[in-house]
Order: sequence, then structure tokens, then C-alpha cells
Amino acid sequence: MNTDTTDYILEFENVTKRFPGVVALQDVSFKVRRGEIHGLCGENGAGKSTLMKILSGVYPSNSYEGTVWYEGKELRLEGGSIRQATNQGIATVYQELTLIPTMTVGENIHLGKEPVEVYGINWDRLYADTRELLTQYNLDIQPQDILQNLGVGKQQMTEIAKALSENAQVLILDEPTSALSEAEIDKLMDILDNLRDHGVTCFYITHKLEEFFRIADTITVLRDGQVITSQPTESLSVERLVSYMVGREMTERFPSSKHVPGEVIFEVEDLYAREPTGSREVLHGVTLDVRRGEILGIAGLMGSGRTELVMTIFGEYGKITSGSVRLHGKELHLKNSRQAMLAGISLIPEDRKRHGLVLMQSVLKNISLPNLDQFAGFMRIDSDAELAASLEFANSLSIKAPNLNVPVDSLSGGNQQKVVISKWLMSKPEVLILDDPTRGVDVGAKYEIYKLMNDLAEQGMAIIMISSELEEVLGMSDRVMVMCEGRSTETLDIKEATEERIMALATNVATENGVTETV
Amino acid sequence: MSAASTAKVKPSERPKWVETILTQFRINIQTYTLILATIAIWAYFYNETDGLFLDPRNFSNLFRQMTTTAFLSVGMVLVIVTGNIDLSVGKLAGFVSVVVAYFQSNYLTDYFGDNELLVASLSVLIGLAVGLGYGIIQGYIIAYLGVTAFIVTLGSMWLLNGAILLVTEGKTIPANQPMFSKISQGYMSSEVGWILGGLTIVVLFFTMFRGRQKKRQYNFDLPSLGTDLAKVIGLSVLVLVYIYRVNEYRGFQNPVLLLIIVALIVTYMSNNTRFGRYAYAIGGNREAAKLSGININRNIFLIFVLMGLLCGVSGVTLASRVGYGTISAGDGYELDAIAACILGGTSTLGGVGTVFGTMIGALIMASLTNGLQITNVEPAYVYVLKGIVLVVAVFVDVYLTRKR
Repeated sequence: MNTDTTDYILEFENVTKRFPGVVALQDVSFKVRRGEIHGLCGENGAGKSTLMKILSGVYPSNSYEGTVWYEGKELRLEGGSIRQATNQGIATVYQELTLIPTMTVGENIHLGKEPVEVYGINWDRLYADTRELLTQYNLDIQPQDILQNLGVGKQQMTEIAKALSENAQVLILDEPTSALSEAEIDKLMDILDNLRDHGVTCFYITHKLEEFFRIADTITVLRDGQVITSQPTESLSVERLVSYMVGREMTERFPSSKHVPGEVIFEVEDLYAREPTGSREVLHGVTLDVRRGEILGIAGLMGSGRTELVMTIFGEYGKITSGSVRLHGKELHLKNSRQAMLAGISLIPEDRKRHGLVLMQSVLKNISLPNLDQFAGFMRIDSDAELAASLEFANSLSIKAPNLNVPVDSLSGGNQQKVVISKWLMSKPEVLILDDPTRGVDVGAKYEIYKLMNDLAEQGMAIIMISSELEEVLGMSDRVMVMCEGRSTETLDIKEATEERIMALATNVATENGVTETV
Repeated sequence: MSAASTAKVKPSERPKWVETILTQFRINIQTYTLILATIAIWAYFYNETDGLFLDPRNFSNLFRQMTTTAFLSVGMVLVIVTGNIDLSVGKLAGFVSVVVAYFQSNYLTDYFGDNELLVASLSVLIGLAVGLGYGIIQGYIIAYLGVTAFIVTLGSMWLLNGAILLVTEGKTIPANQPMFSKISQGYMSSEVGWILGGLTIVVLFFTMFRGRQKKRQYNFDLPSLGTDLAKVIGLSVLVLVYIYRVNEYRGFQNPVLLLIIVALIVTYMSNNTRFGRYAYAIGGNREAAKLSGININRNIFLIFVLMGLLCGVSGVTLASRVGYGTISAGDGYELDAIAACILGGTSTLGGVGTVFGTMIGALIMASLTNGLQITNVEPAYVYVLKGIVLVVAVFVDVYLTRKR
């Protein structure tokens, strides 16, 4: 790490960015030291993304007021393309990866700048250069791996390598860990440490506050487009950070709950399942049960089969080879989501944009989509009934939208998630499955979703919640089922669940207590 | 330089009504560009043909000619909305027309020649049945056997072309039974025309007020009463001018009425039935639709069945209009139908498109064909110009959307 505290690579000076009717950034001023990892923190809509879009040239230099100083000179970008920023050494690693899945790591890294000789592309040099780059930054991928055969973590490494190959001085990482497992996150942290040693400056944006304390040297907090504070990480705590973000003291991140679990209504016993196409087995023995009025948390690493499990239960993923799924003791054989819905099971999918919403359509149409049977005869949809019912859910979940007719992609992540939840509550499920319900949702909206889950549990719904965040699992669940490599390892009562215990079960390592056994 | 200082005219400096019009224009930019394009094309041909283009006879024929491909476009818009394509519609309509002609001249007239109504209705039924049947087979292969629509319908194009040759044996078959001909060549008396026009205007006003009431009730964005009134009055004037003009020739054309009815039914289906809603959801996000419990295969099957039925309608009107079935029947209609959808704002990516926009698109395509024919432009240039118009129109749309 560069300890020369006066060496600033970037300086924002009174940056103000206006959109019609909104001031997205107001007098933003702060400095970034060369070679540091600079955490950028704030709720959705606080202005983080706008600021990074200014830096990466999505918004041209003449579209905002104020100055960005880069390497002592004023940063001038014409906008429209991020190419200019990349050429000047400012690169962005996107949340949604921008690589071509059918190409190799080397091809992806060199895309658009392949070494060309008179006879065509010099493949030897391309792969040799790639290998050199990967070795230099200690990235554990092979140049000739086809991208789609790699896990998300390694795909992201490729993306980072691609940025580095263009001599990036400043790297913008927007939610880099949202799709990574704990092990992959560890790996990413090592890579970032390594980049710091090489003098690369990183902007780090995340909703997972713990990560700031793990990796960031400095944290800048934005709220409503203004800089609230910019200070070294050592002088901050999670509580302080949260209060800076929301502008008030958040005494609790998880609302208190008084669940009174009733009888077991939903059980999965020793479930084995294969992937939908092909013969690979993805679930090898999963057992769980949920009682009325409780929240069962499912913890496990990315790739442990959590999502596959709930999608299989929902009838939309694998072929069940043995084992049973029972509701009220009656065995279910669900073939698709419609049957699951009719049986009284709802699933809030993990990826709301891909699986949950028709983004271009209105809030109304999204909410009513799976529930049109309630309002429709053969030739007619009773639009008054449809509106009234949708409005009821939109109000009770306090979806913040001008009205139900606006397209759902104009809403914030938290409100989009509420639309997905509304759509699945309207079918009045007995069992509600939520797959990572607060992913990409800001702190305020998270709290509301937690409260909603507690309310539903109190009303007697049986809730299954998958979460990638251990704190969330521990904060919300009554019991925690841990998955590892397609199996359920153990179900812990919340009183005996600790982060260490869950991680040990999830990674299948024997702890000093000897809690886990290898099957 | 800041963004604010680059704006040359501040909104407040314009009169309010200009602002309202501009806002309206910006919101519905696609519809208005289409209408402006139609006006521009008409003005051009009017000028080129010394008014012949819009004289009562040609005006009436233009709309009559448009109907055959417009029936195809009505179905095509839903096919494209679900993210599919149907290349077989032109040949299927052509096949229907020759089958109808074949049965009419070889069997029906011989057996039931003295009963005009029976011959005409059986001709229609045979046509619809052929279209529907083919739609069922094609839909089944696409939806349930999982062969891509592009490939199935491309295959159908050849298959049907061969079938047309087999049925006609290379000859032209007459289909000119008088009552059957009325379908595409008949007109309504001027009184009926005015009554229809009056009814339309009443419905327009009723729908507007009912819509406003609902929007207010649910706090939707409510355009000012003036804006809505201006729209409805504008449309009413168009209706009246149209009726006046067609009455100057022979009256309201039967096939146009049929097209309006079919278009209204399909519009209704697309907005107010599960079938229609699901089609848009499937095109907008197939995976989300699947997880929402929608039976995607069944929906797509039904879309192609409907498309087949509409090919039946189109084929029947084609046979009725030209009065015979011939080997070149339906040549290139599929391209006109697809172009009409695209011009009308249907997204090739799926999820977006309206029957109304498509009808204007169909009118533009028909105006081009008809206008170029009566200006005696060489047929070769008709194709050249159609191609250019399609690409330019889509470019303008892309450009305006991007700018916005």
C-alpha cells in the first residue's frame, strides 16, 4: 500500500449532476489516494452509480458541474462510450458480466485488440500474453478455459484481468460479490489486496457493509446525492456507517419477531433430483420441514444447491428421482409452477429481473400475471377487480410508485422486489419460499421486507428463506437448515446457530466441536 | 458548460397549449410519426397523380386492397409479440384461396348451384377450415415438438407453394360466384355507412369518458380533458371524412368492415383475456412468465392456431376480391404483413406491439403499393422503394427513441 498520504490520484471537486427534476449529485467533493481501496457506500438512489458513471464516461464531462481531477489534470470525457475512460486507465467491472460465454478467457481479454499479423490472429502470442497477465496478478484461471465452463467467481476474475490488460489505474467494482460464494469472495479479497500492492486504485461498491471493513482503506458515504463523510475505515463501525447512510440511528437491522410456530405443514424427505437436461445429479438427499408460522432459513454457499432445491420443489427445475415432498402430509407431484401455485406454494425467485418480472410491463400487469384466473372468465378479465386487488397489495406492501400503470423497470430494486412479493402473495400461499429476497435491495427497503416476512409468519404462513448473508439468516430465522454440495447437512435451532457453526456445516469442514461429518 | 445552460428555450416561454401538444407528441411519438408518415405519403402521391390517388374510386380501392394483407398482420402482431415469426402466412392465404376456388368451381356450384347462400357459406367455411387446420398442425409442431417457428414456417412456405401448384395444376381457377364475390367486392348503402360512423363516434366518446373515470379512480396519469377531447374529436372527424369519401364512390366496403371487426376482436383479446396478456408476458420475459404459472406451449400453440384462422380469412377475401385462384396467390404477402407490424411499432424482440399501430403500418404499405402502381412506376421500383421505406422508418424510430 502506498503510504504517501498526499498522493491523490483522483479528486472530486463540487461535482453536481442534475437530471430533469432531480439533483442526483450535489457538491460532491472528496479525494482518493493512489493505490487505495475506496469504499463507496449509500442506499439505492444515493448517487453512487451516477458518480461512477461520471468517472467512467457514461455521462460526458459537460453534463455536470464541478471538476474531476485525475492524475492532477481535469478529466475530460465526451461520453456516449466508456472507451475513452478505459484508454485513460479508468475501467469498470460490471455487476452483470460483459463477457462472451462461448469464447476462451484469452479471447475475452483480448477482444477488440487481438494481436494481428499479416496471416491473421497470432494465437500463440495472445495466449502467452494472457498467461503472463494472469500470473502477474496471481489470478487462478487458465487462458484457454471456455468462459461458460467457469464459475461466476472465475468469470469475474476474467473481467478484472480484462480491465488490467488495458493498464487500468482505477478500477470500479460495482457489487462485485453479489453473485459470489464465500470462498470466491475470499479469493476476490486476495486479488484486491494484490492489486493494492501493484498500486491500482479501486472503487468498491457493495450492499454488504461487512465487506467494507474487510477490504476498504477509506469509506465515503453518500446520501441523497451528497457526501456525508469520507474517512478512514479504522475510524468507523458498522453501526456508524448505517446511521450515516440512513440519516438516523438504526437501532436494529432486523425487526424483532414473535413467531409462534404451529404444526409442521410442509416436508421434504430425502430428496434426490437430476438437472432438467442431462443426467447430472444436483440434489443428493435433502430433508427439511417447515411449521406454520415460522421462518426456516436455508444457508449454504453459492452452488450448494439451494436454488436448485427450491426450484425443484416448485416443479420448475430438476427431475425428482427419489424422495418426497409433502404438504399437510399429502405427497405432491408438482410438474410446473402453476401446479405449485394451486397447491398453495409460492416462490420469490432469486433473480428478480430474469425470473420475477416482465420489466417493460406495468406494476399492475406484473402483480396480476400469475393470478389472472382470479379475475378472468374465458373471454374476459374483470379489470376493476384486477386493479382493486393489485392496489390492495401495492398499498399494504407500500410499493413506492406514482401509480400502478408505470413500467416496473422505473422502480428501485427494493420496490421491484415488493412487486414480485405482491404477485406471489396474491395467490394466498400457505408456504412462501423466498430465494435471497434482499439481494441488491437497500437498507431501508430490506427492513421493510423483513417486517413483512415477520407479519406473514405471524399470520400463520410457513416461510422458507434462502439467504447468502449469514447475518440475515441468523437475524430472521427460527431454524436454520444448512446445505452443502446438494445435501442438507443439519437443521439448527436459532439458539444453537452461530456464524462459525453454519460456515463449518456449509463448507463441510470438521470443527473442533466435531459438528460435521462427511457423508 | 452545464446541462441547464444548453437548453435554448425554457419550457415556460412557450404558450401552454404548445407545451401540451409537444408533451403529447413526445409521449406518443411512435403513433404520431406513423400518422405523419401516412399523411406525407398520401400528399406525395396526391401531388404526383394530380389528385387521382385520393379520388373516391382509388381511395375506396386502396382500403379494399389493404385488407387482404391486413388480416395477416393482425395475427402476425401477436406472433411477433411472443417472440416468434411466421413466414408461411402469404402462401397459406394463397393456398386457402386456391382451395376455395377449386371447390367452388369443381363441386359446390355443380351440386348446390341453385342455392347461392349455401355455395358462398360453404366456400367460406372450407377456407377457414383449411387455414385453421394448417394452423393447428403448424402450431403443434412449433409449440409441442419444439421446432423453431422460423424453420417450421420456412418449410411451410415451400410445402404450401407445392400444394398450390398441385391444386391448380398450373391453371387459374375461377371463384366468381356472385354472392361469394360480395365479401370483398360488395358495398353497403350510404345510410348504413353513416349509421356505422355515428355508432363509432358514440363508442369513442363513451370509451374515453369511461377510461378517464377509471384513471381518476386508480390515480393513473390522467391527460387533460382537452387533450383527450381533441384526440376523440380528431378521430371522429377522420371517421366522418372516411365515410363521406367512400360514399362518394359506392359506399362502405364490406371487407373493410370485416377487417375492423376482426381487428377489434383481436385488440380486445390482447388486452382483456388471459390469452392476450400471457402472449405479451411471454414475449417480455419468457422465464418470468413460465415461473408465473403460464403454460407457454399452449399459449404459443393457440397463437399459431389463431394465425392460421386469420390466414383462412385472408385467403377467402383474396379469392373473393380477385375472383380466381392462381399459382402466384399470396406471393410475398408474408413480407408485407411483417413489415406492417414492424412499421407499426412491434418489437422484433417481443413483448411490444399493438394491433392499432399495425393497422396503420398496413395502410402505409398498401398506400405505397397502390400509389406506385397508379403513377405507373416500373414494378421493380415498387420493391426498391418498399425496402427503403421500411429501413428508413425503423431507423427514424430507433433514432427518436434513442434521443428521448
